Amino acid sequence: MTRFVRQAQYLSFLVPILAVYSLFTIYPLLKAFFLSLTNFDGYSKVYDFVGMKNYVRIFSDDALLSALSFTLFFTVAKALLVTVFAIPLAIIFDQKFLTRNLHRAIFFFPSIPSGLLLAYIWGFILAPVDSGVMNKILRELFGIGPQPWLADPLLAKISTVVVASWAVTGWHAILYLAFLQAIPKEYYEAAAIDGASRLQQFRHITLPLLAPAMTISVMLLLTGGLKVYEIPFALTKGGPGFETYSITQVIVLRGITETQYGLASAMSIVFFFIVLVVAVFQVTIMQRREQNLQ
Amino acid sequence: MSKRSAWPLLILLCAALVLSACGQGGNGGQSASGGSGDTAPGGSDKSNDAPKQVTLSILSWNNEQEMKPVLEGFKAKYPHISFDFSFAPPVTDYIAKLQTMLLSDTAPDIFIIAAENRNEIIDGGYAMDLTDQPFISVMVDANKPMLSKDGRIYGFTQTGWAGGLFYNKELFRKAGIERLPETWDEFIEICLKLKEAGIRPLYDRMHDITIIHSAMFGANVLSKDPDFDEKLFNGETTFAEGWTEVLRMWKEGLIDNGILSPDMIGMTSEQVMNEFALGNVAMVPGGPWNISTIEATNPDLEFEIMPIPGKEPGNKYYNGAPGVGFAINVKSNHKEEALLFLEYLSTEEGLRKFEEGTGGIITAHGYTPNVHPAYLPAYNDGLMAGRIYLPMVSWKRHQEALRNQFVVAIQDMALNKMTPEEAVASLDKKLQEMENK
Repeated sequence: MTRFVRQAQYLSFLVPILAVYSLFTIYPLLKAFFLSLTNFDGYSKVYDFVGMKNYVRIFSDDALLSALSFTLFFTVAKALLVTVFAIPLAIIFDQKFLTRNLHRAIFFFPSIPSGLLLAYIWGFILAPVDSGVMNKILRELFGIGPQPWLADPLLAKISTVVVASWAVTGWHAILYLAFLQAIPKEYYEAAAIDGASRLQQFRHITLPLLAPAMTISVMLLLTGGLKVYEIPFALTKGGPGFETYSITQVIVLRGITETQYGLASAMSIVFFFIVLVVAVFQVTIMQRREQNLQ
Repeated sequence: MSKRSAWPLLILLCAALVLSACGQGGNGGQSASGGSGDTAPGGSDKSNDAPKQVTLSILSWNNEQEMKPVLEGFKAKYPHISFDFSFAPPVTDYIAKLQTMLLSDTAPDIFIIAAENRNEIIDGGYAMDLTDQPFISVMVDANKPMLSKDGRIYGFTQTGWAGGLFYNKELFRKAGIERLPETWDEFIEICLKLKEAGIRPLYDRMHDITIIHSAMFGANVLSKDPDFDEKLFNGETTFAEGWTEVLRMWKEGLIDNGILSPDMIGMTSEQVMNEFALGNVAMVPGGPWNISTIEATNPDLEFEIMPIPGKEPGNKYYNGAPGVGFAINVKSNHKEEALLFLEYLSTEEGLRKFEEGTGGIITAHGYTPNVHPAYLPAYNDGLMAGRIYLPMVSWKRHQEALRNQFVVAIQDMALNKMTPEEAVASLDKKLQEMENK
C-alpha cells in the first residue's frame, strides 16, 4: 500500500505535463488521423468520409517524392556535418583558455534566434547576384565569378545543409561538452602513464565515453532534420522547381495553400510513422553500439 | 512526516493549475467568438444621448502604421467606437491566420477578402452581403467581380493596382533606345540591344506567376478571347490551348536568349529593387508599392513604368487587380458599427486617409488620386482602361494550387528541365487533380 502511495506521489507530478501533452500532441494527432479519412478542405465544416483514398493519393504525388529525396539528403548530410564538427569543437571548449566562455557563447548563439531569421540573413549573404556578400568575397579574394548559391539545384541543396548545420553545431557541441566533462580525468592520466598518445586517448577513451551523447545528438538531428521546414523555406522557398521542398513544406502546401486538408493529414500520419520508425531504429542501433564500445 | 502530508496538497495544486489554465482558455475563446466587443459598464442598449462604447475587432492586411490615418479619422468621427487591431502580413500568413480564426469562431468583426481566399470566404458564408449598402456605389465596376458571387457583393474595395516593367530612362538612352517597344519582338530586340551595350537588361526572380507572364497572357490571349478563363473552368478549353504560345514566346525570347537566367531565382525582391535603383539593371517588374523604395535608394533615378507588348502591335497589357476588399463577419455582434467603418472608408476623407496611410492607388468614383508621375502610364492605360490581368483573380477555383504549379513549371523551364508544352500539361494535370479531389 505504502509502495502504491509512493508511486502515486511521484506520478502525480506528471499530471500537469501529461495534460499539456495530451492537449497539444495526442489530441491533434488523433484529430489529424480522423481528418485524413475525410475530404475536409480547411474551411467548410461539412465534409465527407472518403476512406483510404487520401492514403492512396500520397504515393502518386510528384512533389512529395522530390521532397522525400531532398529531406533524406538534408537529414543525413546535416547529421554528419554537425557531428563531425561538434565533437572537435566540444574538445576545444573543454580546454582552458582565456576567452573560453566567450567562445562557448558565440558558438551557442546561432541556435537561439529563429531559423527563419537566420535563413533570411543568409539569403542576403548567398544572394546570386554580383552584389551578394559571398559572391563579392569570392570575386575580390579569388577572382571567381558569381555563383548561383540558391538557384542551382545542387548548390541550393548544399547551401541549405550548410546554413542549417552552422546554426546548430554550437548547440550540439555544448551537449557533447556536458558529457565530456563527466569523463573522469583519471582515465587520461592513467593512459598518459601507459604511454598513450593524444590521438589514442581520443580514440579509446573520449569517443567511447561520448557514445551516449552521440545517441542523443544524432537522434535529435535525425528527427529534427526530417521535420525541417523554416530554413529551406526562407532560403529558397523550395525552389528551384521542387528541388528543395521538404516533406513538411509539401504538407503545408497541400493542406493550407491548396486547401486539401484530408490529403495533408494523411501525409502527416504517414510521415509521423516514418519519423517514429527512424528514431526507434537509430536509438536501438546506437545503444547497442554504446554497449559494444564500453 | 511533513513530506507525506504535503503530497495531497501538491496534487491539489497541480490539478488547480491545470483546471485554471483550461478555464482561462475557455473564457478566451468565448469572449473572442463574441467579436471581442465589450460594453462599457453602465452603457444601456437604447440610450440615445450616449451611444454605447463598442470595440470593433479588425484583422488588417496593412500594418498599424499604414492604417493609422484611417483609424484615427474614424475614431475622431465616432468617438464611441474603438479598435481591437491585429495585423497579419499578406498573403499566406494572413490567409492562414484568418482561416484558423474563422474555423474556431474567433474571427474579427472586419477582415479582408483577397483574390487568394475569396472563394472559401464567400462560399463558406463567412462574409456579410453588402450589395445593398449605399457605399457600394463608390466602387468602380472593374473592382466588383473579384468580390462578388452570383451578382451579390461581399466586400468593399476602394483600390486597385497594376504592375508592369519599370525601366531606367538613362540606361535606355545609353543603349540608343529611342522609343518603347510596340510588339513582343521589339521588346526582345531592346533587351538584346541593352545586353550588347553591356547593360543587364532585366531581372525577374520567377517566384510567382510573374508580372510578365500575366501581362503577356492579357495581351495575347485575353485581348482576343476575354472569356478564356471562364471557359477553362467550364472544361471547354485547356491551359494547353491558351498558355502554350505565351510560355513558348517567354522561353524562346527571354530564357533561350540569356536575358533571364536561373540564377535570378535565388534573389530577394529587395535585391532586385536595389539593383534597379542603383542603375545596375535596365528593367525590373514592379508596381506602385516599389516606387517609394526606389526613390529612397536613389532620388536621382529617371524611371517610368511600361506595359508588356503583345505579339501584334497595339496589344499592350499590365498585370493587376482590384485591391483587397473589406468584409464584415456574418457572425459579428457589431454589424452596425462595422458598416459605419466601411461607409467611412468610402467617403472623400476616408479615401484620402487610406491613400495617405497605405500609399494604395485609389480607384473610386468621384475621387482624383495622387498618382506618382512615373506610374501614370499604368494608371491611365492599365488600371482605368481595364487592361490588367491577374490569374489569381480571374481563375475561378484552385488558384493557389495552380499558382504553385505555375511557379514550379517556370522555374523548371528556366533550368531547361521542362518545355513549355510539358509546363502547360502539368497545369492541366493539376487542374484535373484539383477538380477530382
